[in-house]
Amino acid sequence: MNKQKERTRSKGVSQWNIAWRRFKKNKAALAGAFIIGFVVFLSAFDSLVAPYPPNDISAFYTRETRVPPSFEHLFGTDYVGHDVFSQVVYGARSALYVGFGAAAIAMSLAILVGLVSGYYGGIVDNILMRITEIFLVIPFLLILLVFLKVITAVAPSGAGGLSIVTIMIGVFSWASNARIIRGEVLRVKEEEYIEASKSLGASNTRIVFRHIFPNVLHTIIVLTTLMIASAILVEAAVSFLGFGDPNAITWGQQLQKANEAVKEAWWEGIFPGFFITLLVLGFSLLGNGLRDALDPRLRE
Amino acid sequence: MAPKEILRIENLKTYFDTFAGLVKAVDGVSIDVREGETLGLVGESGSGKSVTALSILRIVPRPGKIIDGKIIYKGENLLNKTENEMQKIRGKEIGYIFQDPATSLNPVFNIAEQLTEVIRHHQNVTKKEALKQAINLFRLVEIPDPEIKIWNYPHQLSGGMKQRMAVARALSCQPSLLLADEPTTNLDVTIQAQILQLMKNLKDKLGMSMILITHDMGIVAGVADRIAVLYAGRVCEIAETKTIFYNQRHPYTNALLKAVPSLALRKQKLAVIPGNIPNLIEPPSGCRFHPRCKYAKPICSKEIPLLEEVGFEHCVACHRAKELDLKTPLEAEKDE
Amino acid sequence: MSMLRYLIRRLLYLIPLFFGILIIVFVATRLAGNPVQLMTIQNPNITPEFRQRLTEYYGLDKPVYYQFFLFIGQLLQGNLGNSYAIRGGISVATLIGDYAWLTIQLQFLALVLSLLIAIPVGIISAQKQYSKLDVTVTTTSLLGTCIPVFYMGIIAIIIFSYFLGWFPASGANAILAERYLFGSFEIDRLWHLMLPTAVLTFAILAPVVLLVRSSMLEVLRQDYILAARASGLSERTVVFKHALRNALIPVVTYVGLYFGGILAGAPITETVFNWPGVGRLFVEATTKLDFPVIMGVTVFITIMTLIANLITDIAYGYIDPRIRLE
Repeated sequence: MNKQKERTRSKGVSQWNIAWRRFKKNKAALAGAFIIGFVVFLSAFDSLVAPYPPNDISAFYTRETRVPPSFEHLFGTDYVGHDVFSQVVYGARSALYVGFGAAAIAMSLAILVGLVSGYYGGIVDNILMRITEIFLVIPFLLILLVFLKVITAVAPSGAGGLSIVTIMIGVFSWASNARIIRGEVLRVKEEEYIEASKSLGASNTRIVFRHIFPNVLHTIIVLTTLMIASAILVEAAVSFLGFGDPNAITWGQQLQKANEAVKEAWWEGIFPGFFITLLVLGFSLLGNGLRDALDPRLRE
Repeated sequence: MAPKEILRIENLKTYFDTFAGLVKAVDGVSIDVREGETLGLVGESGSGKSVTALSILRIVPRPGKIIDGKIIYKGENLLNKTENEMQKIRGKEIGYIFQDPATSLNPVFNIAEQLTEVIRHHQNVTKKEALKQAINLFRLVEIPDPEIKIWNYPHQLSGGMKQRMAVARALSCQPSLLLADEPTTNLDVTIQAQILQLMKNLKDKLGMSMILITHDMGIVAGVADRIAVLYAGRVCEIAETKTIFYNQRHPYTNALLKAVPSLALRKQKLAVIPGNIPNLIEPPSGCRFHPRCKYAKPICSKEIPLLEEVGFEHCVACHRAKELDLKTPLEAEKDE
Repeated sequence: MSMLRYLIRRLLYLIPLFFGILIIVFVATRLAGNPVQLMTIQNPNITPEFRQRLTEYYGLDKPVYYQFFLFIGQLLQGNLGNSYAIRGGISVATLIGDYAWLTIQLQFLALVLSLLIAIPVGIISAQKQYSKLDVTVTTTSLLGTCIPVFYMGIIAIIIFSYFLGWFPASGANAILAERYLFGSFEIDRLWHLMLPTAVLTFAILAPVVLLVRSSMLEVLRQDYILAARASGLSERTVVFKHALRNALIPVVTYVGLYFGGILAGAPITETVFNWPGVGRLFVEATTKLDFPVIMGVTVFITIMTLIANLITDIAYGYIDPRIRLE
């Protein structure tokens, strides 16, 4: 009986604490976080982990191209003489860069459109939703390929290539999340707004914004994580088709070259592909775990 | 010339096997319902009222399971019946009205479909015949323009209409027993009275028995013949309505009544029952109310009090029932 | 009747969208570079004058808006022009005609198969939540959403084509007619379809299974399902009539969205398996800046996408009356 009295006095544990505790119990989510941590580690220390420098083709000179996995080359070598293992390690950074970058752009747009549209309603909502629909209906890959071709032609080639891919993916991926966020804003508006306006009298718009945003934050966090996973997949696909940045080392690129040699050198494609899957899996597990942990309806 | 029983629940136990633990939502509930009477089932949220009703129909959602007890309806134990047999009883012998009409109707089917479906499931009639019955039901529950409204979808009806429709559905096959789970809680106050009156009329007209579940003492005062008070999955007190209000013998019942603000009293402090609803995974030992009871004695935490008769049609589950002299606020004021 | 109005509204909305997409792609491709340059870069013998003549021949020297109107004009007459560099300047319409059917074969088959599998599996998985079956299904499906389609394809080729030798690794038919399986063109085609279809089916059904499952779980928790049970309806009716219809709503939305990617996702599968479809054609044309082909494929895919969207809207309106009747 005393324990119960204590609990009521402590004003209740914060939502985030509850979510954190739930998250810790979810093994899959922890696995996801671990995977991501592992890849981040690889990308941070890539020059230390990889036995060979990036794009090193020393194997070419020793006639060791297309060699199956061995002690010297853990994942074998590719058609030119790169050490596949090293290349895969170097690819980690690109994957993370594109993933986070594209997600940042896409989510920023999605949050902006979703919040404004959902909150202000009316004509603004109408216009923004029309624009969103346009982006939703456009054949995604088609437009992406065309634009990538354009920008790589128009912009000076070189270091910007991967950034361009990142931006392009971000620019075309915001629409569906914008709709989801808008939906959440509308839902919260129903719940909280009425309370707030009643209790505060003339409530400041900004104050209500401060009420809406935190409640939509749960959804945003989950969507962002899943968006990262999706962006990584898109970059891989685009690079696989040959529209990526030829100067960057990405797993998708490696798979593109490997496609031509599947018969002779399976190791060229298997390993990079595995890492793509692994990283995407990591973010997916994390995203799902966050969703379960943050779901307000599952309060005990 | 004892009134005939239509339903008797003996020592019902329904537990929920959740991740957090085993929730003993209903832990030894025994009540009975007579033919033609309205039994009010009262208690706070979490007292086990709804779970009891769902247990009668054996549709307790997972992870809930009926562990023990007997549910004897018209002489037969429902817990021994097969699923097929239960399906013939649900909707036909026993009807159920849910609390929130907005969520208890399927949004993608129109009302006609939802009504006729039930009718045709239990009776062997044609679509046309079922439709005629449905329209008549609508008239019965006093919905205007039934021929038109019946083709509407739930979202096109107001809250009061939706609930009337839910009543119609529950009554569609003339059940002998109606389970109404807080049927008016989600409605506007003015509509509440209408729906209650409707239910009362229909009940008398069709000769049904009813279990009315609610947390609102005011509602139950006007409608119920007898009242059963539930706390934390157990019955505290069962008696005729008047007895409950003027001669209650369980401290919880007394506290409940004290907590209801009344216009009849001259001076009034808003009484609050101290403490919290108990944790149903690790409930208090013995009498579940003892941590919050101001009359508690050591025995109350050791032994579970059983329902004992303390007067005419009056059973109480309290170790000190016979010795306590509880007064309602009204009485207390009268004495001053 | 409101269904018709609803449709007409959608149509009126989609048509300007169609032209909008055409404009964007048209202008973008012109900005991407000079196809004449690309075509002739290998050959040192080609003089600048020749290039100039070629440019004029293709009408590429005219201002962009003029080119566009010319294009639209021809389009409305049903003329898609000729390719610059593919198969010797063959008519684009012929190209698309040849390849479109192949893409549709593959995509349609995969879509139907995956829905036929995904929906029942999702339902059963939801009904038996937390069971071993459910865990297996969700784990596999989750993995399926993380593996890139081309990676799946490569692995499938390695195992089933090179290692086991059961299926061919590329193409839609054997090149030489004598090599047709059992001597039949159709059987040979089916044989070549197996592997790419299997891969694509799995890629499509993985997210759909998860969606059906979670949607069903959500719906089965609702009061109206409990109410349906309380009315005495059989469990089968409750699940397959009351629950399913509600649960399919987000699935319809998803498949509709997927359509935007279906024909657009075709390039990937078709490239891995060297499947001669419109997707692979598009990749090739975009690489070579073959404007007529790019535009032709864009027209085709966009029309298909918009039709698919319309169908989705119809289906959505049919299932959920709340949408229809606003």
